[in-house]
Amino acid sequence: MNGSGALSGLKILDLSNYRGQLCGRLLADMGADVIKVEPPGGDAARRIGPFVDNLAHRDRSLFFWFYNLNKRSLTLDLKHPRGAELMLRLARGADLVIESFAPGTMDSMGLGWAALHAANPALVLLSIAPFGQSGPYRDFDADDTVLAALGGMLYVNGWPGHAPVRPWGLQAYHSSAYYAAIATMCALFARDRDGAGQWIDLSMQEATAAAVEHVAGSYFGEGRVEPRRGTLHWSRYFRVGKCRDGYIMHCTLGDWTSLIEWVAGDGKAQDLVAPEWEDVQYRAVHAEHLFDVLDAWVADYSRDELLERAQTLRLPYATVRNPEALLDDEQLRARGYFVEVEHPELDRKIRYPGAPYIFNDSPWEVRRRPPLTGEHTGEILRDELGLDADEIAALAAEGII
Amino acid sequence: MAGSVTRLPLEGIRVLDFTWVVAGPVATRILADQGAEVIKLERQPGPLGARQTGLQGDLHRGKRSIAVNMGTPRGVEIARRLARVSDIVMDNFSARVMRGWGMDFASLSKVKPDIVCVSMSGLGHTGPRSNYVSYGPTLQALAGFTLLMADRNGQPAGYGYSYADMSGGYTGALAALIALWHRRRTGRGQFVDLSQFEAVVSVAGPALLDIAVNGRDQSPPGYRSQELPAAPLGIYKCRPRGDDDDRWLAISVRTQVHWESFVSAIGSPAWAYEAKFRTLYLRMRNSVELDANVARWAAGEEAESAMERLQRAGVAAGVVANGADICARDPHLRARNFWGTVPLPDGSTTHVTGIPMKLSATPGAIRTPSPIIGEANDYVLGELLGMSRAERDALIAEKAIWPT
Repeated sequence: MNGSGALSGLKILDLSNYRGQLCGRLLADMGADVIKVEPPGGDAARRIGPFVDNLAHRDRSLFFWFYNLNKRSLTLDLKHPRGAELMLRLARGADLVIESFAPGTMDSMGLGWAALHAANPALVLLSIAPFGQSGPYRDFDADDTVLAALGGMLYVNGWPGHAPVRPWGLQAYHSSAYYAAIATMCALFARDRDGAGQWIDLSMQEATAAAVEHVAGSYFGEGRVEPRRGTLHWSRYFRVGKCRDGYIMHCTLGDWTSLIEWVAGDGKAQDLVAPEWEDVQYRAVHAEHLFDVLDAWVADYSRDELLERAQTLRLPYATVRNPEALLDDEQLRARGYFVEVEHPELDRKIRYPGAPYIFNDSPWEVRRRPPLTGEHTGEILRDELGLDADEIAALAAEGII
Repeated sequence: MAGSVTRLPLEGIRVLDFTWVVAGPVATRILADQGAEVIKLERQPGPLGARQTGLQGDLHRGKRSIAVNMGTPRGVEIARRLARVSDIVMDNFSARVMRGWGMDFASLSKVKPDIVCVSMSGLGHTGPRSNYVSYGPTLQALAGFTLLMADRNGQPAGYGYSYADMSGGYTGALAALIALWHRRRTGRGQFVDLSQFEAVVSVAGPALLDIAVNGRDQSPPGYRSQELPAAPLGIYKCRPRGDDDDRWLAISVRTQVHWESFVSAIGSPAWAYEAKFRTLYLRMRNSVELDANVARWAAGEEAESAMERLQRAGVAAGVVANGADICARDPHLRARNFWGTVPLPDGSTTHVTGIPMKLSATPGAIRTPSPIIGEANDYVLGELLGMSRAERDALIAEKAIWPT
C-alpha cells in the first residue's frame, strides 16, 4: 500500500456476499486494505454475469469485478473450525469485518459479535442483512427486487393502473452499501474517541425505505399515499417529452420568461403566455396541461439541439439518453471518470467506471484490478498471521484455503 | 435534547451548510443525525411556510439555521468568519457561486489551512459541461436510468422521484466523512469536487462494465434478473385489499430447493409439475408461460398473507409496499422502531424517516425539528463569532442578517 489514500492503514475483512460487496469497494477505492474472504471454490458473485466476452468463468465475471476492484482475495472455508479460527486470528489485526450472511450464521461459525469483540475489542463489525438482525422478518429471504418492494421503492415507479417498474441496477443493495460505508466511518470516528468497536446492524429494507424520502414525507406530512405517476415527477416540475429523435426531460423550474419567449418565438406557446404561468406553484398545479403544450412544442426538435439551446438559456433540460452514451460523454471524459485497468491475464485493458468525486489531497485511485480467486491467500496468511510455507500447504491440502 | 445520553460519533464537528434543494440537505442531515453541529446558512428571510413536517422536516431536522443576506458585503464577511470556526463547508452550487463570494477552497484555505470543502455540484467543477444547470430528474435522465425504467412497450415510465438526489446525498456524506478522517490523520484539509452526475452514474453497477467491455446495448431489465438467476421472478397482481385494487407481490425463486418449496406453498398445482418447468433453465426459457400461471395464482391471493406463506416456506417474496404500508402497517419496520419521532415547538410531534443504520454503542439521534429560518442567529453571531447584542442589531438594521 502506498499510503496516499485517505483510508490507507485501515484493514478490512470483507466476508460479504453479492448483496453487500459495494461497501468494501467504496472504502478500498479510498485506500483501505480490503481482503475479500471467499469460500475455496470462489465467491458466488463470481458466477453472476455479465462475463467478459460472454464466457462464463469465475475470473471473468464483470458483476464480481464491479464490486471488488481494489480488493485482495483470500480463500478460506469459514465453515471449517480451522478456517474460522484463522479468521478470528485475522480479525485481531483488523479494523472492520463486513458480513452479509443470513442473521445467526456468523454465530454458528463461532464468529459472532461476542467472539469477534472478545478477540479484538476495537474491531467494528458491520452486518448487512435484508431485514437486519432483529424483528419478525429477520429470517425472511430477499433479493434486490423483494427489498425494493418492501422498502417502498417499487410502488412509486411506473404508470398508474399498470405494474410497478423495477429500477435499473440493484438499487436496494446500492443504497444499503452507501449507508453501510457511512455507518462504518461513524463507527471509526467513535472508536477513535471511545476506544471501543461496535456492531452495526444495517437493514437493507430500511436503507431502501430511506431512499424514497418523498413517500414518507407525503404520508407523515399530508397523510397522502404517493401514487405512481409515470414520468411525471412527484414535485410536478419534470416530465419526459418526445423529440423528433428521442426523449428529453422537461423542467419548469428554470427561468420562465426565457422558456416562454423561446416557445412563443416558435409559435407554440398556446395559452402559456398568460401571466398566471409565471407563478411557479401555478405551473405545478396545472402540470399536465403545461407539459402537453411543451410536448407539442419539442416534437420537431432534435434532442441535442433542444438540450444545447436550453442550457444556453440556463434552463435545466436534459436528454433522456441510453447508458451507452456515457462512454463517449465529453464531460465524463474531461474529468477522467472512466479509468483503464490492466488485466494481464487477459492481455487487455478494461475501462472501469471510476470516482464520483475528486479529492485533491487523498485521491480515489485504482491500486489493483479485482482479484483472481484466492490470488493473495499465501501472502495474507504469511504476512498477517506469520504462517510458513508448510503450514499453508497443509491448509491447502485439507481444502481449508 | 432527547436521546443524547450516549455521545454521538461526530460530536465536535461543525459543518457550515450552504446546501439547498434535496441532495445537499440529505448529506448534511446524515451528518447531523450522527452528532455534527450543522449550521444551515439560509439566504432568504423567514418565515418559510411549514418546514417542520413532511419531506422538509426530514431534510433539515437536527440542524441550526442562520439567515444571511449574501447579497451584502457584510453578509459575505459573516459567512467567511463562520467558515473559519467550522471544520467543513458544504455546498451544492456550480463552481462560480462560492468563488464569487470568496468562499471557495482556494480562498478559505488561506485563512484556515485545514478546512475541508465538499462541493456537490451537478456535473462537477471542471469539464465542458460544468456550468450545466441540473436537478435530480435531469441527471438520472442523462445517466440512462429514465430510459431503462421502461414499461412493457419500451416507453420511459420512471423514476417518479429523484433517486439522483439520494445517490448524490449519500456520496456527499461519505465524502465528508472520508475527508474529515484524512484531516484527523494528517492535519490537512482538502477540496472534494463531487459531481452528482457521476454519483448517479456510479450506482448503475455492473451494466457499465458490460457496455465498456462487451459493447452490449442495455435494455430495460423488465423482470430479467440483474443478479442470481431466478424464475419465477416478477411482480404479480394480487386480490384487492378493501377498495384498494393496487396490490402486488414481488417473488423471486432462485434455486431448485426454493422452487420445490414454492410449489408446495402454493398448493402443488398440476401445472407446476409439467416437464417444461422442471429445472431453472427450463423455467427461465418458458418464463412467459410460467409467469402466466403464477399470475393466475397470485390474483386470488391477498398480498400480505401470500408473502407470509411463501417466506415461511423459505421463498423470497415481498409486498409491493405503498406509503401507508411502510409508514404505518409494516410490522417489521415498526418492531425495529425505524421511523423517527420529532417533538415540535407547539407540543405536537411529527414522524420522519429514521436512521437506517443501527450502531450498537452510538446509534445516532434525531435531536431537534427542522429549524425555523434564523433560529440560531443569536447563537451563531453571539457565541460562535463573539458579537455583542448591539453589533447583531446593527447587522439586522443594515439587512446583512435577516431576523428570526
